[in-house]
Amino acid sequence: MILLIQYTLIFAAVLILVALGGMFSERSGIINLGLEGIMVFGAMAGAMVMVLLPSHASKATIIILTLVAAAVAGMLSSLFIAVACINFKADQTLIGTALNMLATASATVIVKAFNTSRSDGTDFSAKLDYVTGHKAFLIHIGELEVSWFIIVAALLLICSTVFFYKTKFALRLRACGEHPQAADSVGINVYAMRYAGVLLSGFLGGLGGIIYIAAANSTWHFDYGVAGAGFLALAVMIFGQWKPERIAWSAVLFAVFRSLSNVNGGIDFLANLHIPGTIYNMFPYIVSLIVLALTSKNSRAPKAEGIPYDKGAR
Amino acid sequence: MEKKPSFFRRPGVQTVLASIICAILGILVGFLILLAMNPSHAVEGMTAILRNFLKYDQSSTTLMYYFGSTLVKAVPLILCSEAILFAYKAGLFNIGVAGQYTVGIMASLYTSIALGWSWWLCILAAIAAGALWGFISGFFKAVFNVNEVIAGIMMNWIGLYLTNIVLGSKKVMDQSTSKTYNILSKNPDALLPSFLANVFGHNQYMTIALPVTVIVAIILLVVLNKTTFGYELRATGHNKEAARYAGMNATRNVILTLVISGGIAGFAASMFYLTGIEQYTLASSVPGMGFNGIAVAFLGGLHPIGAIVAGLFIEYLTMGGQYLDTNYFNPQVADLMVAIIIYLCGFVLFFKHLMNKGKAKALTNVNAETEENTTTDEKDKEV
Amino acid sequence: MDKDDYVIEMLHIRKEFPGIVANDDITLQLKRGEIHALLGENGAGKSTLMSVLFGLYTPEKGIIKKNGKEVRIKNPNDATALGIGMVHQHFMLVDIFTVLDNIILGAEPNKFGFLTKEAARKRVIQLSEKYNLKVDPDAKIEDITVGMQQRVEILKMLYRDNEVLIFDEPTAVLTPQEIDELMKIMKELAAEGKSILFITHKLNEIKEVADRCSILRKGKYIGTVDVENTTKEELSSLMVGHSVSLKVDKKEAQPADTVLQIKDLCVKSKLHNKDCVHNVSFDVKAGEIVCIAGIDGNGQTELIGGLTGLENISGGQILLDGEDITRKSIRYKNTHGISHVPEDRHKHGLVLDYSLEDNMVLQRYYEPKFSRFGLLKRDTIRSYSDRLTKQFDVRSGEGARTVVRSMSGGNQQKAIIAREMDRDHKLLIAVQPTRGLDVGAIEYIHKAIVNERDQGSAILLVSLELDEVMNLSDRILVMYEGEIVGEVDPKKTTLQELGLYMSGAKKDTGKEA
Repeated sequence: MILLIQYTLIFAAVLILVALGGMFSERSGIINLGLEGIMVFGAMAGAMVMVLLPSHASKATIIILTLVAAAVAGMLSSLFIAVACINFKADQTLIGTALNMLATASATVIVKAFNTSRSDGTDFSAKLDYVTGHKAFLIHIGELEVSWFIIVAALLLICSTVFFYKTKFALRLRACGEHPQAADSVGINVYAMRYAGVLLSGFLGGLGGIIYIAAANSTWHFDYGVAGAGFLALAVMIFGQWKPERIAWSAVLFAVFRSLSNVNGGIDFLANLHIPGTIYNMFPYIVSLIVLALTSKNSRAPKAEGIPYDKGAR
Repeated sequence: MEKKPSFFRRPGVQTVLASIICAILGILVGFLILLAMNPSHAVEGMTAILRNFLKYDQSSTTLMYYFGSTLVKAVPLILCSEAILFAYKAGLFNIGVAGQYTVGIMASLYTSIALGWSWWLCILAAIAAGALWGFISGFFKAVFNVNEVIAGIMMNWIGLYLTNIVLGSKKVMDQSTSKTYNILSKNPDALLPSFLANVFGHNQYMTIALPVTVIVAIILLVVLNKTTFGYELRATGHNKEAARYAGMNATRNVILTLVISGGIAGFAASMFYLTGIEQYTLASSVPGMGFNGIAVAFLGGLHPIGAIVAGLFIEYLTMGGQYLDTNYFNPQVADLMVAIIIYLCGFVLFFKHLMNKGKAKALTNVNAETEENTTTDEKDKEV
Repeated sequence: MDKDDYVIEMLHIRKEFPGIVANDDITLQLKRGEIHALLGENGAGKSTLMSVLFGLYTPEKGIIKKNGKEVRIKNPNDATALGIGMVHQHFMLVDIFTVLDNIILGAEPNKFGFLTKEAARKRVIQLSEKYNLKVDPDAKIEDITVGMQQRVEILKMLYRDNEVLIFDEPTAVLTPQEIDELMKIMKELAAEGKSILFITHKLNEIKEVADRCSILRKGKYIGTVDVENTTKEELSSLMVGHSVSLKVDKKEAQPADTVLQIKDLCVKSKLHNKDCVHNVSFDVKAGEIVCIAGIDGNGQTELIGGLTGLENISGGQILLDGEDITRKSIRYKNTHGISHVPEDRHKHGLVLDYSLEDNMVLQRYYEPKFSRFGLLKRDTIRSYSDRLTKQFDVRSGEGARTVVRSMSGGNQQKAIIAREMDRDHKLLIAVQPTRGLDVGAIEYIHKAIVNERDQGSAILLVSLELDEVMNLSDRILVMYEGEIVGEVDPKKTTLQELGLYMSGAKKDTGKEA
């Protein structure tokens, strides 16, 4: 049972951050299907920092540098989307898909090259081990093993929610996703706001990526990417109707199912049901699809998302 | 405007040029990456990728064998891209091809290994599975107005997990190796009839899949351009409102398009797995074939025959990675190049815009939505 | 008043677009504290002039002065900085935001980036009480009426302390009661010292609120008059002019059996949740041209939409040759005798990326004549298209294979006319068939329509051009705010009378409204 809670917390933390990232991007008007790729870049950068830091580095140094690296890498990779979709008005679905492929391929190439050069040509794997780094994030509260990652995620959730509802910046960002012409008519720079939205999604997505690989594991094979976590976050975002507080509890709900698939054998009454773990994996997607069908008439998807903004065409 | 447009102004020529620009830029960036990784061996590495199986030029048998393997592996890629471009012509972005392909794998392997059906029945099962997956997306789109991209993504994952359950069972999967059984050992009847295997250095995986792929592309070309159905689909894709004005049935066409697109994706899976060249292993993420198909479709200029060329090119590059000297580079560099090319495909509109520079109206329509803009432009000028 | 009292002066403004002069030496002087109406037909150049003032277009010639000093307005932000605000015809409001959020957007009060809405809320409530603009600051835009949304737009300008307020056809979307209120509000604003530019073509409203009125016609400045000393009739003739440039040669109509009968038709608007066609009834006989005249946005588009099936009908009945076709599909209507030249040729009439020949069979591609076993008969389509293009003199670069997008507007329109006239039909609906075309093309299309009538078709024409209405029709129905307000005989009426009907100054009962 404790294991279930631990897994749920970790998955929820990942899903909350990445889904919030998707939310900021879509609220500014850019559909971000590249969350998966952003996570991979964030995860890779974070993991490499953990590997590179000397073993005597203090816990705080490891935590801060890892998080910063992941966030920066996520933001840099999100620029691929921003430049193509905002400046060049490229198809947002195509670009998102391309970023995902780009991420997995380049992570594999980079990590392999990294390993090769560090091992003087004996290690060709796309695997990174970061046991020290992983341990640096752990805190024990009684029997429960909590990670700093979860605390960071919780803080960011609170900040995002306040930011989303209470700031001038977020008000403007949301206006750009709904009615960019209206925003423009009151002197708001729509392009800049959309850049901000995409970069925020890079920031949060990158952090989500490092949590995904480092909170429960001390090693990761980068040729697997992040195994659909980005897409699950997208489902969480839709399920949460593009609102931070709803995203939070949707993420927890989805995380429970995801954890059940991992640990259902360990809980007696669930094990007796003999449901394959995969079914639990499938469940969130089925539920999202049905919810989408029922709510699509009054769905709260930002009205102008997916439509490139052209200042000339008024 | 009364004159025939010059060669470089023709939309067809521009599409080809834009794709070639993407490919060349992608290869250039790839070379830069090789340079960054290992400057002294970069040229050698690039040559290996581009030279590919042609390095076996001493032995025509070996050469043809590897050429055959490239063709076999290009088949599902080309078919997936046909599925995507078909839907795209009707204004639908069928990102669900990945899932439709996956359930196609499920149906073809389950019917062949567990049920012992013969090959053509297995193909039908795969088509049916893909079509059903497409139908569900189409139904949600047409009836509930759920965006087909979102519905497609959900269906991809549902399809993946379902496939893992079905193919993970003892009947289909060898539990010791975690791979599905070889079709040859379980049910040779399910293998596709071979085709020109002798010509291709006795490559046992050379099957009718090859000619069939070309036939499918031609059929799609005919359907899109010569039939009333294709006429409707393209009209809807170009201008939804005009299609409505002309009395076309949007609901029916959306569902039908995605059913056909899904059917092709399912078919693609059977054309690959029923050659016996590969076994399915439980996957934690949706097979990339459908996503690569998006790339090929765009690189091929969204043309059924263009997709064949683009598919062969992409597969050639991907395979090229294996010819790299692993002491200096790793094979995924080729995947990276492919991903860059796809990313660059997003800029096709921009490239075409550059080519049209100086021309008064530079709006080449790739997206159905741009229609609206031109209309308002006109209105403004009429004031 | 002396010269110094002009708050805005636009002097000798000239704005050209390729092939057309939209504003030709136009001068507009707005006094402080006045309500200044800008009157003109569709296409007279009002919107262009306002776009110049708001910084959306740069004029080729002319200068703009604010308080006597020359200013440059390069974009809307410049205009805002000069205290110029505008209520756009299509509201610039974010649906899911509250009233308050919409008002402060772009000028948010904040402390370290955090919104401080309390002061703003007080200010908005204070403003709304002062000017009698009742709104709930916490209501969402999507939940309030169109009239309230307009008040939000006005509050947006007041919140920014704008002193020059532009209203772009503000009454088009309002109910009569809401219009009354708006008039009151405008007067109060003017009394407070705000200067108002009021774009309209409704004479009653001008008479009610405006102090002075400038009139534009076909891009030219006609003059500025004091409203008090000018009658509606005079305003109307200034607006429409006297020139009747095009005469159409046609015989007396020979109306035969009734083809189209419309009874109490109601159509809901897409913009707001109310009917914008109210209980419209009329009929059209074979061999006559019935024209629906009226100013843009009075329900003509929706009426035709309901008739052809492009819009949903909320009530009433449509009979074609006595058969009830109210709820039939678009295809059924297409194949049972209705031809339709649509208002927007790019949105509905053509698939611009299709070839000319493919567009020629847009509704007929599946007929046995053009297809067999689901395959298009390319040769037949080609020869059919060639015949039509020859017959109707449609010119294109590469003949039947020309992509329609590359053709000129006139030839695109001719292609549609050819297609619709050649289809089997009892009724031809033509909505603004000559919009944006040159004189030659207009003449040609007019002749074709008359010819069609003489061959026994019933023709329903919708037009905004009064010349066209007067020349072409056998019967004129005037539509105003979703209703047919009058039926006149083109031979017995004058442009002035028509103008009065169109601007709501006169209704069918014969008395002045």
